[in-house]
Amino acid sequence: MKRLAARRTRNLTILIVAVFAFLGCSALATIALRDTARLSGWLLLTLIIFLAAYNLRKKLPFLPLGSSAAWLQFHIYTGFFTAVAFGIHIAWRIPRGPFEIVLAALYLTVFASGVVGLFLSRSLARRLTTRGDEVMFERIPVYRRQLQHEVETQVLAFLTASDSSAVAQFYADRLEPFFSRTRHFWQHLAQSNRPCVALLNEISSYDRYLNADEREAMQRLAKQVRKKDDLDYQFALQATLKYWLFGHVPLTYALLAFAVFHLLLVSAFSGGGR
Amino acid sequence: MPILESIQRPERWSVPFSTEMTDADIDRLLEVKPLCDLDPTQFRGKFTLRGILQNDARLVRYRKGDIIVRQGDWGNSAFFVISGSVRVDLQATTSLPGEVLGRQKVRRKSAWQVLAQLWNFRREPEVRDVASYREDARIGSRGSGEQTRIYLQDISAVLDTYRTAVIKAGQFFGENAALGRTPRQATVFADQPTELLEIRWQGLRDLMRRDTGIRDHIDQVFRERGLEWFLLNTPIFQHLDKSEVAQLVNQAEFETHGQYDWAGSFKRLARHGADTNLQHEPLIAEEGHHPNGVVIVRSGLARLSRRHEHGHRTVGYLTPGHIYGLDEIVDGWLGKSPKPLKNSLRAIGMATVIIIPTKLIESLLLEKTGRRNISRRTATGGDPLIKRPVIDTTRINPDFVEFLVQNRYVNGTATMLIDMDRCTRCDDCVRACAATHDNNPRFLRNGPIQNNIMVANACMHCEDPVCMIECPTGAIHRQVEEGQVVINDQTCIGCGACASNCPYDAIRIVEVRHKRGDFIRDDRKHAPIVKATKCDLCADQWTGPACQNACPHDALVRMEMRDVQKLTEWYTR
Repeated sequence: MKRLAARRTRNLTILIVAVFAFLGCSALATIALRDTARLSGWLLLTLIIFLAAYNLRKKLPFLPLGSSAAWLQFHIYTGFFTAVAFGIHIAWRIPRGPFEIVLAALYLTVFASGVVGLFLSRSLARRLTTRGDEVMFERIPVYRRQLQHEVETQVLAFLTASDSSAVAQFYADRLEPFFSRTRHFWQHLAQSNRPCVALLNEISSYDRYLNADEREAMQRLAKQVRKKDDLDYQFALQATLKYWLFGHVPLTYALLAFAVFHLLLVSAFSGGGR
Repeated sequence: MPILESIQRPERWSVPFSTEMTDADIDRLLEVKPLCDLDPTQFRGKFTLRGILQNDARLVRYRKGDIIVRQGDWGNSAFFVISGSVRVDLQATTSLPGEVLGRQKVRRKSAWQVLAQLWNFRREPEVRDVASYREDARIGSRGSGEQTRIYLQDISAVLDTYRTAVIKAGQFFGENAALGRTPRQATVFADQPTELLEIRWQGLRDLMRRDTGIRDHIDQVFRERGLEWFLLNTPIFQHLDKSEVAQLVNQAEFETHGQYDWAGSFKRLARHGADTNLQHEPLIAEEGHHPNGVVIVRSGLARLSRRHEHGHRTVGYLTPGHIYGLDEIVDGWLGKSPKPLKNSLRAIGMATVIIIPTKLIESLLLEKTGRRNISRRTATGGDPLIKRPVIDTTRINPDFVEFLVQNRYVNGTATMLIDMDRCTRCDDCVRACAATHDNNPRFLRNGPIQNNIMVANACMHCEDPVCMIECPTGAIHRQVEEGQVVINDQTCIGCGACASNCPYDAIRIVEVRHKRGDFIRDDRKHAPIVKATKCDLCADQWTGPACQNACPHDALVRMEMRDVQKLTEWYTR
């Protein structure tokens, strides 16, 4: 079996065994009239602290804390495990108090954003290799400006040389908004190239109003449109891969703060009961 | 009508080794033994004896204590002692420490230093501690640029402490490393004012070709000093006894293929296509021919290719220690009829090979191992002949193998490969590199991509490190224990020789700054001090390469390209 597939099988097996072991322990604790909510609560808080610690590990690459890849594997499978621990903790019911509802909502949002992040990092990375040149995210605005400058220089040169304003007019009306900023973010994310095809169709249907030189100039513009569309595609996917963490990480810290507060409240109002 | 510019076609001696050799120098050299014994009539055609001395040699003078070559350095020249004498460090009990030779042993950071990286984070790039550039009491340097000499401060203490041997006027040294493209085996320093004739390897080769005396001498020295050790360390010969190894040493042939300064020609060739590159790779052995012997790569790299339609398909590559032609000899011996070579072997850049004649292989290895044992080739028996490594790249996409060989990435012992199907472009690798190098990332997450694998622009710590040739102070060197190629910042003079020699553009020359943020300047000309920087494979960190360790998605790996099995496992995982 291939190494990554073998790792996935091993980790999934461990996860399933751990889940069943936890469910079994929880059932036994219920039969023994133990407070399962307290046990699952402590376990959940400990696991969430470990999960949040991954971000700290990333910031300390010089400490011998194990590889980031090993941490991520732990993060993913432990993350899935917490879903079961959370279910047991809330007894598979919707919490009643407003604070508990917010806490549960926070947990579910963090969990969901983690699952979405996992899906994105596995699918978008692969898709990035299918279109356009490999570009660094921070350089994309520079390349976009360069491309726009090239196109505008081309259009102006044609305008000066031919005394015809058809190409320049088309650029100003239809292409300038396309080249001046990043476009079609969501369509690229959804792997749709409809907007680009539509624009290229507009360019080709405009042919009927042009002479041979103008058609040639428009063909050059069509090439630049494809280039810009590839750049937008790279931007959309890379930005998504970068920015989903801006939701996941702050929400995790909020969850941690709420969970600690929840623990304090529970401890304060438990009245020493076990 | 376009204007055609014409220039004189560049030739071998267009750029001589030195422009300072005068006729009087050459006359004087031709009176010194053994040069005076050379027969000028043997040097016919363009490459006359005077021409070789004029263009491929230079006179260099050293003062007492000056280090001439260091153990582990790479150099392209041999030396002949004209007057004075030099000492060679015999390393009988202990060799001269790196610090004395102007090197720096990279030490792992202490626990406190590791932690201190949390707050000792410089905002300005390339900040250096000026105090670290103050002179080290144990070493001195004089001269500037390429004429910089590192010298031993207390030569009598060195002579008392370390066992050395004298090389006197009229003797050669350094020829093994120059011809074999292997690291210098010992450190040599001048023990009195000494004049040396330094001959670059092309000149030495021509002298050997035309004069049997010099050829026999160098051949004998090579067999005595280099070949025996090399063969004893080759797994298939490890079980031979002394007399059998002596037979191998006497009958082995030694060949050099390709260009010594391949880095420069590679940069030019890189602009052309694959076919052009293949044409420039000298053929060592051709597919379809019968094997004259087993070819063992001693240094450099070689391409295995097979005819495919009207071209050649790369099927693998060989690095030092790898063997070619043994399968065919074994198959021929088992089948009792000679078998032709299945692949062609070409030198990539430059390769030196040792050829052991077929008859010797048959008598010393095959007959001794026995027909039954050899036919169990796939068994994991104890005999190295049976379990010898197979260079099998068939599980890797042929285009990717072609790409690796074509661009000579197979030279790397720690090539940075990134699987772009898994890389999320999070740049954790770059941030980790910066965090472990005082906020200065030592690589670019950018580079050519083939089959969705990127070879990033990072030092590959090459098997054949052409960057180390021409470093005047030995600042760039290979760590003895773990093999990383590192730069000693204290002795780097910023000449840029390493950066211009590196075929992969992995070395950068940077202007260094004071803690305050202003540039450190030379006290005479007030020009900024520059230093060479590159990836050091985190030699001083506890974690190993931070880039690989920081990749969350297992996308980045530092690959020992010699280990084809590991490469295959990673590629097909």
